[in-house]
Amino acid sequence: MQLARSNQTNRLDGLTLGLLALGGVGAVVGLVMALSAPPDQSQGFVARIFHVHVPTAWMAYLASFGALGYSVAYLVRRKAHHDRVAAAVVEVGLIFMALALLTGMLWARPTWGVYWDWEPRLTTTAILFAIYVGYVVVRGAIEDPELRAKAAAGVAILGAINVPISYMSVKWWRSLHQTQSIDLTTGKINVDAAILIPMLVNLAAFTLLFIGLVRLRSIIAAREAAREEA
Amino acid sequence: MQRIFWLAWRDLVLEFRGRTGLLSAVFFLAVMLFILAMAFGPNPQDLRKAAPGVLWVALAFAGSLLAGRAFGLEVEDGTLDDLLLTPGSREWIYFGKLLFQFALLMLVGLVLMFLTAGLFYLPLQHWGWFMAALLLGSLGYAAISTFYAGMLARLRGREVLLPLLLFPLVIPVVLAAVRFTQGLAQGVPVAELLDWLRLLLVFDVIYVTVCAMVFPYMLEG
Repeated sequence: MQLARSNQTNRLDGLTLGLLALGGVGAVVGLVMALSAPPDQSQGFVARIFHVHVPTAWMAYLASFGALGYSVAYLVRRKAHHDRVAAAVVEVGLIFMALALLTGMLWARPTWGVYWDWEPRLTTTAILFAIYVGYVVVRGAIEDPELRAKAAAGVAILGAINVPISYMSVKWWRSLHQTQSIDLTTGKINVDAAILIPMLVNLAAFTLLFIGLVRLRSIIAAREAAREEA
Repeated sequence: MQRIFWLAWRDLVLEFRGRTGLLSAVFFLAVMLFILAMAFGPNPQDLRKAAPGVLWVALAFAGSLLAGRAFGLEVEDGTLDDLLLTPGSREWIYFGKLLFQFALLMLVGLVLMFLTAGLFYLPLQHWGWFMAALLLGSLGYAAISTFYAGMLARLRGREVLLPLLLFPLVIPVVLAAVRFTQGLAQGVPVAELLDWLRLLLVFDVIYVTVCAMVFPYMLEG
């Protein structure tokens, strides 16, 4: 089985390359569309950062649920593959999360006058970031693969549960963050189509990139595991 | 059910016989409070304002300091495997350890509460509500710290990893507890503060349930 596996993973599969290529092209198209979008009524050109900020933030939240799903799958089925995908999701998710935080801060400086504010969205995202940094550190600290996978799964499960809780907990705090572009609870869209369409293009492109990167990272991890065993 | 209490009781007895762990934790916290009191300056107004935050941050430190106690002895004496060999499901190990951890934290929390009342002018008129917050807050801390302590029990370097994992997760507990105690200290009517207490309760229930469900997977192997 090991031999067959390692042969299989010796080549990058077409799907991963396709996803990455499509995502890359989509991101470029999205960027052009975003830069040619009309400036926002109240915020002007600064608002264009949202075309990067919103999709990355979505991916970051998606990552926490993805990590939760694969971690639960690992604990139930005990397949090393699930563990590797969970780790890949977290690692790629951390990059997107960092991008979301960074672009948010860059936007906040001219708009709110400060880089950082202890406001619900920012606080929960920062907590999430800290949790997943912990995840990566734990993985680095444990040698035994099985023990590492279990501990990492535990961290990911507790971490993902913390997201809705801390989101709720800080919602009643004071809020400075503007209302969501698309309110998930009511399905109301608060954005003009001229801005919404490039944002959706970017969202699709970033999703493809995200999945492609996760696949790439887990293929690398699978190869590393195969080499260690060999 | 019975073995949960026996496990917690045994650990508590061992803890009190050993003494060093609990005593050093309390002394550490006392020193910490002194330093914080000096840092926040001699003005009683400032101290009173800082008191709730100080109380819960100190308790969080106590939680991570004492978390290692729950499984430290089991690993040292090699009795963890004996626990795992007992028939039946393993959730009870989590609950037993949780009870032990919770009892320790409540004890330290009580001492801390009186210390902050003394050093930081924290008014304790509503002591019943303070106790409720302490109860729910300690349970929240204990639920997570017990889970992680068990998970990392066999690892070297767990002393560093534990706080790293623990602190981001307990933020909602700290937030709700601090908000509630702050309101109490400022004399806000309790009815307006009950939402925070409810949040603490929800948090506790969710975490205890999920931790108990996932915990058996962490101990195997």
